[in-house]
Amino acid sequence: MNILVCMKQILDPEVPARDFRIDAARKEAERGSASLVTNIFCENALETALQFREKAGGTITVLSFGAPGAEDTLRKALAMKADVAALVVDDSDANPNPLTVARVLAAAIRRLGAFDVILTGREAGDWGAGQTGALLAEELGMPYVAFADALEPGLRIKRQTESGWEILEAQTPLVVSITNDEHNVPRIPKVRDVMMAHRQPLTQWSVAELGVEAAEYYEVIELAIPQRETRCELVDVDTLARRLAEVAAG
Amino acid sequence: MSTATREIYWNITGVWVMYALLVPVLGIGAWGLGRRIARWRRGGAAQRFDRPAVRWKRLLDHSLAQRKNPVFHRLLTYGFIILTVATIVVALDADFGTSIMRGRFYLWFQSLIVDVFGALVLVSVGVAAARRYLARPAKLVYTSEATLILAAIFVIALTGFLAEAWRIAATRDPWAAWSPFGSLLGRAFGAVMSVEAMRAAHRGVWWLHLVVSFSFFAWLPYTKMKHVVTSPLNIYTSNLAPIGAALKSVDFEQERLGVRKLEDFTWKDLLDLDACTECGKCTDACPAHAVGKSLSPRDIILQLRDLPEGSDVIRGASAPEPLWECTTCAACVEACPVFIEQMPKIVDMRRHLVMDEAEFPDGMQAAVLSLEKRGHPFSGTQATRLDWAEGLDVQHVSKTQDAELLFWVGCGGALIERNQKVIRATAQLLRKANVKFAVLGREEKCSGDPARRIGNEFLFEMLAKENVANLTKYKVRKVVTPCPHCFNTFKNEYPQYGGMFEVQHHSELLADLVDDGRLAPAPRASVTFHDPCYLGRQNGVYDAPRAVAGASVEMERARNRSFCCGGGGGMSFVDEPADKRVNQERAAEALATGAEVLATSCPFCMTQMQDGINARKGAREMRVMDIAEVLWEANA
Amino acid sequence: MSGIALVIFGSPADRAALGLAGAAEQLGGASRAIVVEDYQPEPVLDALVEACRGADVILLSNDTYSQEVAPRLAHRLGGACVGDGTALSVVDGKLRVTRQVYGGKANAVIELRRTPAVVWLRARSFRSAATPVAALLSGSESGDSRRRTPKIIERRETKSETRLEDARVIVSGGRGIGGPEGFANELEPLAKLLGAQLAASRAACDAGWVPPAWQVGQTGKKVAPDLYLAVAITGASQHMAGISEAKTIAAINIDPDAPIFKHARFGIVDDYKKVVPLLRQKLAGLKS
Repeated sequence: MNILVCMKQILDPEVPARDFRIDAARKEAERGSASLVTNIFCENALETALQFREKAGGTITVLSFGAPGAEDTLRKALAMKADVAALVVDDSDANPNPLTVARVLAAAIRRLGAFDVILTGREAGDWGAGQTGALLAEELGMPYVAFADALEPGLRIKRQTESGWEILEAQTPLVVSITNDEHNVPRIPKVRDVMMAHRQPLTQWSVAELGVEAAEYYEVIELAIPQRETRCELVDVDTLARRLAEVAAG
Repeated sequence: MSTATREIYWNITGVWVMYALLVPVLGIGAWGLGRRIARWRRGGAAQRFDRPAVRWKRLLDHSLAQRKNPVFHRLLTYGFIILTVATIVVALDADFGTSIMRGRFYLWFQSLIVDVFGALVLVSVGVAAARRYLARPAKLVYTSEATLILAAIFVIALTGFLAEAWRIAATRDPWAAWSPFGSLLGRAFGAVMSVEAMRAAHRGVWWLHLVVSFSFFAWLPYTKMKHVVTSPLNIYTSNLAPIGAALKSVDFEQERLGVRKLEDFTWKDLLDLDACTECGKCTDACPAHAVGKSLSPRDIILQLRDLPEGSDVIRGASAPEPLWECTTCAACVEACPVFIEQMPKIVDMRRHLVMDEAEFPDGMQAAVLSLEKRGHPFSGTQATRLDWAEGLDVQHVSKTQDAELLFWVGCGGALIERNQKVIRATAQLLRKANVKFAVLGREEKCSGDPARRIGNEFLFEMLAKENVANLTKYKVRKVVTPCPHCFNTFKNEYPQYGGMFEVQHHSELLADLVDDGRLAPAPRASVTFHDPCYLGRQNGVYDAPRAVAGASVEMERARNRSFCCGGGGGMSFVDEPADKRVNQERAAEALATGAEVLATSCPFCMTQMQDGINARKGAREMRVMDIAEVLWEANA
Repeated sequence: MSGIALVIFGSPADRAALGLAGAAEQLGGASRAIVVEDYQPEPVLDALVEACRGADVILLSNDTYSQEVAPRLAHRLGGACVGDGTALSVVDGKLRVTRQVYGGKANAVIELRRTPAVVWLRARSFRSAATPVAALLSGSESGDSRRRTPKIIERRETKSETRLEDARVIVSGGRGIGGPEGFANELEPLAKLLGAQLAASRAACDAGWVPPAWQVGQTGKKVAPDLYLAVAITGASQHMAGISEAKTIAAINIDPDAPIFKHARFGIVDDYKKVVPLLRQKLAGLKS
């Protein structure tokens, strides 16, 4: 099984609300003191891939499209025992739209080889568009399943729905987006593997080298932090019971 | 007047048998000891022979004076030494033609002192037996070996007296008065036994004494009695640095990180195991054990000691579960009378589990991940590094020329809301005393202490190097911090990475400022102080925080015997079972003093004790305050 | 805006469908509605491409199938997709969608630059309007689809009650609950007394204490109840992103500095294990 996992590096989503600032002109969050971390759903996807490889065998390639610093994300993936890593460096100054991202990833994937299963996270913790997997499937001409949390050889996919879950039967190749579950919490790499990951080769391309041009899709017109604060009234249990009953009765 | 002495080997024939027996006895004993030494040598390197003057003093204090031991053990030791010397004197006179056992020496030493100490040995054995079999303290180890050893010592001493008594009575020893107990016993026997009977009895008991003593010495290296050799050795080669500096660094080129196999320990660690006297003081002092958890430092040491060479160490008493209950408070290390280092071995085993296997508790995993990603262990916090400084006009270290010191806030101080008030109070005190300080603000990263104690030495080194580089870049010379963990790390662990700073805990600086009259003292009040493990026991700072807080009430377990709050060693990041909470145990102790205020001087202690007091206080109110908050109340 | 199509997975009488109709009304009214039954990813996508051809705007709700289909539908039709819309507007003939970003810390207004605009919405946040008569599209009857797989072969519901998004009252538990027992023994009886649905923060779901379907937050359900009682939930922005439309938020938390108190209307600072049993007592008393 040739598995590929797309991984995105983003600003730490756990940065406290007080430290979160917007650059209104660039329509992006300011870096501030936030660290750069791998999107958690991408890590869930990698963990799903690792568990799948344990059952089905094969290789795992990790691919990222981002700033040069995204190499850290790929090194961490190699430490978790992914086999091959590739980075497409985004040297543009703008925030690429989902279609551009999908086209870049598709071009890189065609260079990297033929894959049976391509995984993405369900959405990124920064913009949360949730479209990369779906658009990538269209660009590659593959089917797509969203919100999966487990893969079994066969190919069987379990995915979450609002009311429970579903099992799908599928054939390769296809694209699957992964959501979090108690079973795909990303593993902690061993120190030895972290040290070795830094010595492994890493393929690197620019967007121009891949021959992709930015696509028209949509535009961020405005980005703002909503002002929202309430004064919470601290009450005793009696009052709490009364108020809850009142509001619940409607 | 004939010179005082007695006939060596009186009434004994066939003495050659004794010399013959000496051969297997020495052989068996030497072989046993040799096996242990070979075992230690399989371990890794350790530098433990520097500063001999300090080491000899420690040996005298703890091997001879035995400051940490009860009276009956000291008497046993001295009795044994004296009786052994006396026996050597006999041997010298018998086989080497000397005449030491004569006159004054014979009377004062060979007779009186030996007799008195022989009796003291018997009494001590009685005390030991009463303690072991009547009082039955839980910390002791109950094996047939222990019983046999006690019995053997008793028999050796008793048979010695019996032989002496029968000799004195049968020979009508003119110097009998110089052996008070022996002659007393002799008179009793003499009243009911004939001289012939006594001679026969003497002969029998003399050989019995010989056989038992010889067996005892041959058997010694195979039992805990080997501690008469290994304990002094262990005390001599013990760690001279403060307990806070006890952890070793890791060589990342090694095949295994941390300790998985017995030989991954150093020779000194392996010697530690053989120095153990099975006294159980370490387990008795352990806070995790006190609240009913499975951790027992004594059992870990003994289980390791009994493992065959090449064994996997992580099993039994060192199975993962107990290892993850340790708060690294080092009460075990402090309690040990022979200077065994239990806690560092636990950390060594943790290191393997964390770095080579990535198998460790979820809560600690989250803390480590957060440390890697964002430089602090408090995943999910909505606090920022400078929240405490709102409205205070605090200078960043890059923006000030005349700062005397770097005020290192620490993650616990900045990111836990309750502690932000402590940092504020400290900053306000420094300001009031006109101390010019600067902070790192958002550039502050965790000192690395939680990573190191959890066992991730790799992450610790990364953080340590980053911090040292950063502080060096800003030309920092002096660091003052309200967190004892940061204090310990900066003071004892950063020098290895090139970080040579003058380091003070805020209690030390504040005490100095009060002494110099730059701050008003806090009045002595109904305040009890909880010694943080990393400030007190591990670094010897006890008086400064008490002075700062005006503490007038002491808890029973105070100063170097302080009972941990339960927060160290990564334990603040895991959930403890509701009925086994270390902090609640300590809170009960604090509440029992009746004091109005519980003063702390550590962000972990603050959080733990606040929770503990809340859980145990019932109707009673007890304020939990940092010493800086107490002092600020007197200076605001 | 002309040519607005509604794609409805579920019943056209559902609150979600009515919300889509309400959103469409804001833009000038829906011209048609398509109700999808027997969903299978590939056949339905193919059929929707045909059914939606010619529309300028295609609106969907925030259910699983809508999110799975929407971007691909947009791609096939040469349009653009954006999701989780909470407000719509039209400027210079272009559709603008407001949505939360950065884990709920910020709002973005996004203008779609290709036609059709395919948008999935938090439908229940829009006022209800009558759904136009709908054409039926069946996943099992789409014969000339290119592909037969992936194929849904098994469906399982973990809770057969009202969907969380439609619940009027929600009792939700977080990391501080400490384990599944807290949910089963403390929160469930409390929820019964309040006529509430149970939900959870991501931490509780990740720990396996409750099913993932209970997760409320940026990557869970987006709910809009009259009352949301947060028990032992910190209130980080990712969770708040799922309850931004809640009318009243109440909180029980042992930590007085928990961010949830900045969003709650009223609450108690105490251990939920002490408060909830008492609360149940009082509520039972009020009932009788």
